[in-house]
Amino acid sequence: MAIQGIRFKIQRPLITFSIFIIYSLLLTDTAHAMHISEGILPFRWALLWFVVAIPFVIYGMKRLKEISRIDISYKPLVGLMAAVVFVISLMPIPVPTAGTCSHPGGTAIPAILIGPSITVLITTVALLIQALFFAHGGLSTLGADVVSMGVIGAFVGLWVFKLLRRFKVSLTLSAFFAGILSDWAIYATTSLELAAGIRGDAPFWPLFTKILIAFIPTQLPLGIVEGAMTAGMVGLLLKRRADLLVKFGVIKPEEAGGAI
Amino acid sequence: MEAGVVWNAEYKQERDKRSDLTMAVCECFSDNFRKRHLLSDVDARIKLLVVLSLLLMVLSYKGIFFPLLIAGGSFILCLSMRIPPRMILIRFAQPLFIAVVVLLLKFFFTGEEPLFSVGLYCIEITGYKEGLLEGLRITSRIIGGVSLVIVLGFATPFTEFVAALAWLRVPRQFVEIMLFAYRYLFVFLEDASTIYNAQKNRLGYAGIKKGLHSFGVLAGSLVLRGFEQSQKTSEAMIQRGYSGDMPLLRGKPLKMRELLAGALIVIIGGVIWLM
Repeated sequence: MAIQGIRFKIQRPLITFSIFIIYSLLLTDTAHAMHISEGILPFRWALLWFVVAIPFVIYGMKRLKEISRIDISYKPLVGLMAAVVFVISLMPIPVPTAGTCSHPGGTAIPAILIGPSITVLITTVALLIQALFFAHGGLSTLGADVVSMGVIGAFVGLWVFKLLRRFKVSLTLSAFFAGILSDWAIYATTSLELAAGIRGDAPFWPLFTKILIAFIPTQLPLGIVEGAMTAGMVGLLLKRRADLLVKFGVIKPEEAGGAI
Repeated sequence: MEAGVVWNAEYKQERDKRSDLTMAVCECFSDNFRKRHLLSDVDARIKLLVVLSLLLMVLSYKGIFFPLLIAGGSFILCLSMRIPPRMILIRFAQPLFIAVVVLLLKFFFTGEEPLFSVGLYCIEITGYKEGLLEGLRITSRIIGGVSLVIVLGFATPFTEFVAALAWLRVPRQFVEIMLFAYRYLFVFLEDASTIYNAQKNRLGYAGIKKGLHSFGVLAGSLVLRGFEQSQKTSEAMIQRGYSGDMPLLRGKPLKMRELLAGALIVIIGGVIWLM
């Protein structure tokens, strides 16, 4: 099996696997929910992702304006949710396969609770603060990061959750899969953005595949952690504040049972 | 990082009261650094515009010289602001990791002309010249871009940055959400730290399954606190006359001297970029 530059002899899978693990341990220091770093994308790609992201952010702001006109406490709620998402995304989670710590994206839960358009806005705020003061992501790559983490992460999370709920899957299991698939969708989109941005004259798909493989040691287990976290959060809300889930239309009043 | 000379006095008092997690995050915001330095009096709007202009040049530069020059200049600026080298390295850690991955991907997977070939057990690794050059170009762009943003982050207090965004006509809703998020970030960090320590003391993170459950409960508790705190905050704000819009810092007129200095830096950068 020849991939340009590296030839794998698959009859010795154990050694190949060992090298893969050593590579993971050496290269993955502290992985963060996939942000594209400042400067990776050339100007035209950075601009393109801004053009894609801006309509979603504007729509999020429009929704916020509309809702806060009716409910004066909505803006503080969204601001505080942004702080919560920010804090969650800073929490270190051990990823056993990579031998390191990683950080969740945390976009599935606000998407389920307050909707994807406001989640895009929250994510943009969190990403801007992270880019400026933590050097996670960047100013020029903000558009690309908003598209992957905000737009794709939020919409995939919500759609998976709603689809599973339509098939009468339990609340926590739906949240679990929403968290997993939201995280993996972020990972796939970021890989796509990276491959398109750095490929130069090389063909797109082989590079995209290699980037996907390069981040498997952290991102696959991280997705499962994200799923467990989302399920845990929804489970706790159902147990302690089912009224909030009813208020945000996540469950019907009769589903809350005696919890309200 | 002994910080007697680096951190400001209020921050040093805070250090003793707050948890490690909160302090680690606090240390990323310039508000907690020494307040008098080379760029402390420069208008945040000028700093933002200069950084954005230089960033554009770094991103559109075809070689490695200009981004590395910008990185060198930014590093010297950070040291002159007496930012601890450890803090600079912490901020560089993640971008550098990604830069190394990108460099390796380009070096080993892109190009035609082999530079070297090494047999390693079952794998034959070949590095390519074009891939190395392209990888170095991207890596230098990352280092240059990140250095600029790091200088901006260290030299600009958060509230001034937000005021600069408002002056640049960034919509009010966005600016207000940023202010709320920043205000409550440290409160939730402290809460998260307390809950985490309580869980850890009760063996909540002994084993993967238990750890995942504990983490879910921790995140859920934070969401709950977010909701509860937002209700309290709204009530308190309404009692103080909040009508849906928060007052923002008003921008003072730009100083001609700073404007000219900023323009000069951009022009010099532009000339080097064109060379």
